[in-house]
Amino acid sequence: MNLQIKDIHSYYGNIEALKGVSLELTAGEIVTLIGGNGAGKTTILMSISGLVPPKRGEIHFDGNPIHALSPDKIVSLGIVQVPEGRRIFPDFSVQENLDLGAYLRNDKPQIKTDLDYIFELFPILKERRYQSGGTLSGGEQQMLAISRGLMANPKLLLLDEPSLGLAPLIIQQIFQIIKKINQEQKTTIFLVEQNANLALQIANRGYVMENGLITMEDKATNLLGNEAVKSAYLGI
Amino acid sequence: MTGTYDILSYFLELFSSGLTRGSIYALLALGYTLVYGVIGLINFAHGEVYMVGAFIGLIVAGIMSIMDYNILAILFVTLTFAMIYAAAYGFTIEKVAYKPLRQAPRLAALISAIGMSIFLREYVILAQTPDFVSFPALIPKPAFLLAIKNYLEPTEVLIILSSLTIMVLLLILIKRTKVGKAMRSISQDREMALLLGINVNKTISMTFMLGSVLAAFAAILIAAHIGQINYNIGFIVGIKSFTAAVLGGIGSIRGALLGGLVLGLTESFATGYFSSDYEDVFAFSILILILIFKPSGLIGTVATEKV
Repeated sequence: MNLQIKDIHSYYGNIEALKGVSLELTAGEIVTLIGGNGAGKTTILMSISGLVPPKRGEIHFDGNPIHALSPDKIVSLGIVQVPEGRRIFPDFSVQENLDLGAYLRNDKPQIKTDLDYIFELFPILKERRYQSGGTLSGGEQQMLAISRGLMANPKLLLLDEPSLGLAPLIIQQIFQIIKKINQEQKTTIFLVEQNANLALQIANRGYVMENGLITMEDKATNLLGNEAVKSAYLGI
Repeated sequence: MTGTYDILSYFLELFSSGLTRGSIYALLALGYTLVYGVIGLINFAHGEVYMVGAFIGLIVAGIMSIMDYNILAILFVTLTFAMIYAAAYGFTIEKVAYKPLRQAPRLAALISAIGMSIFLREYVILAQTPDFVSFPALIPKPAFLLAIKNYLEPTEVLIILSSLTIMVLLLILIKRTKVGKAMRSISQDREMALLLGINVNKTISMTFMLGSVLAAFAAILIAAHIGQINYNIGFIVGIKSFTAAVLGGIGSIRGALLGGLVLGLTESFATGYFSSDYEDVFAFSILILILIFKPSGLIGTVATEKV
């Protein structure tokens, strides 16, 4: 697994949200992307997933260009996004939400194994299996959103603000599980977060983004100690 | 005693003809509601697909009648051809008239839909005829239904039963199959569906084709029952089925079924006990009343603005 983004420019309408972004993710890493509101973090994920294809620049996955592929082709390569705001299908049960995660897969026995693994990670989801997604609490919805992403059997999991709107205790729990998934499944994780402190604690590397550009790149421990990062994003 | 009998049999007659109309409305309303569910658009050309389906059926049935086939074989082949052609029409309409406008303001797609509807009607006038043409009575009257022919019209019973069967099959398809789940997920959150790898364009095409197949099925049944068709049959039936879909709650599958049956029965009883001149007045009064007092429909949820 290797993802290379080379100088991409992406637009929302006439607004240039990414002004030449380059970054690289290698197998087994947890990499975080931190930055303020409107910096362009979500746009990077949407560009990778093919929903906001870059107008210029290239994205390569395992050496092959993917910036012109349709979203379903990108998912089938193993690049799966869990978007901001969880986006659970409210009319579907927990089980149906999970089934949709495996929409492109046909390997039934492996799907069953993955489902068991998810219920081990989040026993509450097994309990709420037949409840409709709309009735879950925020934390449970985030667990379901991550699990639905895992059901797609990702090589690279893109997580957008998984901590958003959750209680600190639940956030801790979810971040521990993100780390666990990375260790046990060897899934590469690209974590976009406003909660920079927590994100940098579980990440190997980090990128800092401002106004459509990557402004810093370093090991997570170095960023945690960096004065500029501290004052801007860690609230210290 | 005879008086009671007459009242009862008149009631049954109205009831059965109401259910017949109602199943036709319901089959078409499903097409409106499915398309609205996935792309938030009222496909005003849907009634025209129904009309085109009837004309395709007429051509196939005509050819097969000349070749002296058995009536059941004719019915079967006619239905099949009409449904396949209608699916092709539905597919093409979406690609030509709606897909290029998916990012455009909704009004543009609506105008495109109306344009497509007018185009198809004029096309049939030019390619076929502006006059009424007779449609062969393809629906058999099996012996077991002749026993009740004093109470219920056998053809109507067959139309109702086969429509109900198709509706049940559709419900299963929507509920259980992959494409059904894809449709329902797109209607809830299209962007999320994309992120899960669901091919949204393909699913939208499938939805149009499915709705068109149902419309053609309804068209053949009712044309064979009434015995004549022209280029205009899709227009009024289309608007009434749209009314049925709104009545039940646009976007809701069960709502379309319920709305269709309620509208059919209302029309039938209103014309039977009041006056047939007022048939359309009743239907459209229902539309206006529903839009004013319960825009979400009988079992629809609160309408959310689609982006």
